[in-house]
Amino acid sequence: MIEYIGLHKRFDVPVLAGVTLTVGEGETLSVLGPSGTGKSVLLKTTIGLIVPERGDVRVDGDSVFTGGRRALQTIRRHVRYVFQYAALFDSLTVYDNVAMGLPEGAARTLGRAELLRRVSRSLEDVNLDPALVLHKLPAELSGGMRKRVGLARALVGEPRIILYDEPVTGLDPVNAATVNNLITSIAEHTRVTSVIVTHDVEGALEMSDRVALLDHGRLRFVGTPEEFRSSQDPMVRAFADRRTAAAAALELVERDEDDTENGASE
Amino acid sequence: MRRVSAGLIRLLRAAGRTAVGFSAHAGGIGLLTARVARATLAGGVAFADVVKQAYEMGLQSLPLVMVTAVLSGVVTSQQGGYQFTGSIPLYVLGSVVASSVVLELGPVMTAFVLIGRVGARITAELGTMVVSEQIDALHSLGRDPVRVLAAPRLLAGILVTPLLVGIANMVGLFAGLVAARATVGLGPESFLYGARLFWHSWDLLYSITKAFAFGFIIPAISLHMGLITRGGAEGVGRNTTTSVVFMIITVLVTDALFPPLFLN
Repeated sequence: MIEYIGLHKRFDVPVLAGVTLTVGEGETLSVLGPSGTGKSVLLKTTIGLIVPERGDVRVDGDSVFTGGRRALQTIRRHVRYVFQYAALFDSLTVYDNVAMGLPEGAARTLGRAELLRRVSRSLEDVNLDPALVLHKLPAELSGGMRKRVGLARALVGEPRIILYDEPVTGLDPVNAATVNNLITSIAEHTRVTSVIVTHDVEGALEMSDRVALLDHGRLRFVGTPEEFRSSQDPMVRAFADRRTAAAAALELVERDEDDTENGASE
Repeated sequence: MRRVSAGLIRLLRAAGRTAVGFSAHAGGIGLLTARVARATLAGGVAFADVVKQAYEMGLQSLPLVMVTAVLSGVVTSQQGGYQFTGSIPLYVLGSVVASSVVLELGPVMTAFVLIGRVGARITAELGTMVVSEQIDALHSLGRDPVRVLAAPRLLAGILVTPLLVGIANMVGLFAGLVAARATVGLGPESFLYGARLFWHSWDLLYSITKAFAFGFIIPAISLHMGLITRGGAEGVGRNTTTSVVFMIITVLVTDALFPPLFLN
């Protein structure tokens, strides 16, 4: 379980303005929102990659920011982050990159054969043929393959929680569907808790138990995909109907102005 | 009067900003060094990684270090020969070449080679890792980037630079000896007599101490500048350039501090 408690974070402008949200064990939650609205920042606070000015994050009851270095290391052992551009290590082969997903010293404790078996299985789980990719460097892979290697690196350590940062951004529709299907399959088979930051509204509604909409650092909506589709909030409608956020904001302002005029005339 | 005071204020502001910037960097490098020391003393630095870095920094830099040393020895010998011919005994040339190479040119020219070949590469490599989230990935996988990336490079720098300087000194001295023979006809026996005449045993320790200092400065600055990179490819380029300038200035200032501290 993940608990985001009153998170505040600003860079030049506020990006998180008091976000409180709970993600249940085994749940898949997608976080939507306009670009620059704090989605990735929220995700990175989960494992302490970004430190908020105020607030806390608790992972399975342990505080990310007040528990100390050892507690944070323990949390990171059970949480894996799939980065937007995979963040593979350029000088390491696919084999070594995926093996990095296991705890340090795994090569010594497991032995080479077992290590190879686990790495190969993770690559097969993301529909990559180990024989073809194991010895390649990241620069020799396509964008979609790099994302899947990043996913394999996250899976190999059998985490309890996986955080996905825009997993399908930059992919063609076929590869995007493949990655979305993989995420769904992983969640179904392993009951892992998943938090997905994405711009893919359709994919989010299909694969998530709940959806959250972040707008200017605040949660504007949290609910099931059905509630999302039937919501009358203009911003939610804009995402559901895939209109621009600016048009939705304009409609909201105009509606507020109409309400004010109607109230004054009465 | 108003124009003068406005200019003075701008100058003071610039000086203040520079001082603040320098202090921030010095503090950052100090903290990085402390974290490397802690990781090393805790036994968390992989020996294989140190060896790999030592190979890349040391062995792969050796050809360029030797070329630089040869050129330093030859030029010093030739210019000294030009100055001394007909005025003082030529065997003094041996002392001039030995002192110049061992006390100054060996360590400093080796440092410049390492700044260009190793320092710039470290900043660019780590900076690229920062902007492509690879450093974040290391954190998320439970690895400490200081222990995994910074410590092997810093330790390797401290270990290999004195070795490179020692080799540069020998090569530079030998090149100076050959050049003295070729240009002013000074035989090896006379050259070496002159070299020994004004030699102090402290000179070699002085040279190696400089080498240790430079061996720390170059990776420390380049690692720090790499790890604080922000702003994509442009940021990597900017920090790499700043890092090289920073390393050159720090090496020269440190070099300038050595004579009053250790020779007088």
